[in-house]
Amino acid sequence: MKLDPAIRDQVLATVPSLRAFAISLCGNIDRADDLVQETLLRALAHIDSFQPGTNMPAWLFTILRNLFRSEYRKRRREVEDADGRYAETLKSHPEQTGRVEFSEFRAALGKLPSDQREALILVGASGFSYEDAAAICGCAVGTIKSRVNRARTRLADLLAIDSVDDFGPDRATRAVLAGGGRS
Amino acid sequence: MSTSKTVNLQPPAPGEDKAETRDDMGKPATQRRSEVRLGREVQARIGQQLRAMYDDVVSQGVPPHIADLVGRLSEQDDGAA
Repeated sequence: MKLDPAIRDQVLATVPSLRAFAISLCGNIDRADDLVQETLLRALAHIDSFQPGTNMPAWLFTILRNLFRSEYRKRRREVEDADGRYAETLKSHPEQTGRVEFSEFRAALGKLPSDQREALILVGASGFSYEDAAAICGCAVGTIKSRVNRARTRLADLLAIDSVDDFGPDRATRAVLAGGGRS
Repeated sequence: MSTSKTVNLQPPAPGEDKAETRDDMGKPATQRRSEVRLGREVQARIGQQLRAMYDDVVSQGVPPHIADLVGRLSEQDDGAA
């Protein structure tokens, strides 16, 4: 049978966000696009297991994440290359973030354990609820919350000192950050 | 005539009555406040950068080859197992 156009449109509407998530997992645009394609092939082959009216993005994200876990993570060394082609997709980054700062941010994100990174992205960028993110990752809501918190804390540690000038802190803050010992 | 009390619609200048507020011990309160403020600012910036990075990809929309793929798959009869 042919695919219900409404379902097809829901799938297409999810693609941009699905790609962004895939890129954040793979760190590589080509591999991410392969992963998105595989996800869509699998999803559409099993579209009858999707319950109309339920959360299409969460369903597709779950499939993509499972595929990534089962296949792509084996190629870990390449996957951990957080820079490379990924940078090319970010040429047109928004004006409000400087290029240097932006690449520092990506580098910091790349240092997070993958389970923390994906939790942070699902909640902080994809806009999923903690409950949906937990369903996507197949874990408890509390686990997602603690991963997100740990990810935020770690990122803050990684970014705080380098970014201090961008925050325009007063001297007192600067002194606190410098620990009083450095200038 | 009390001219000093004429109009007081102006809110206090930002930070005028707070920034230098200290507890009895002086410094510690200021330091703590700075740390808290910095923490909030760092977190706000993290959220902002995370979304900027993500939305940069989202704004690229659906790549043509993926639109084609979905179009083909949704038209074909689901005969293949």
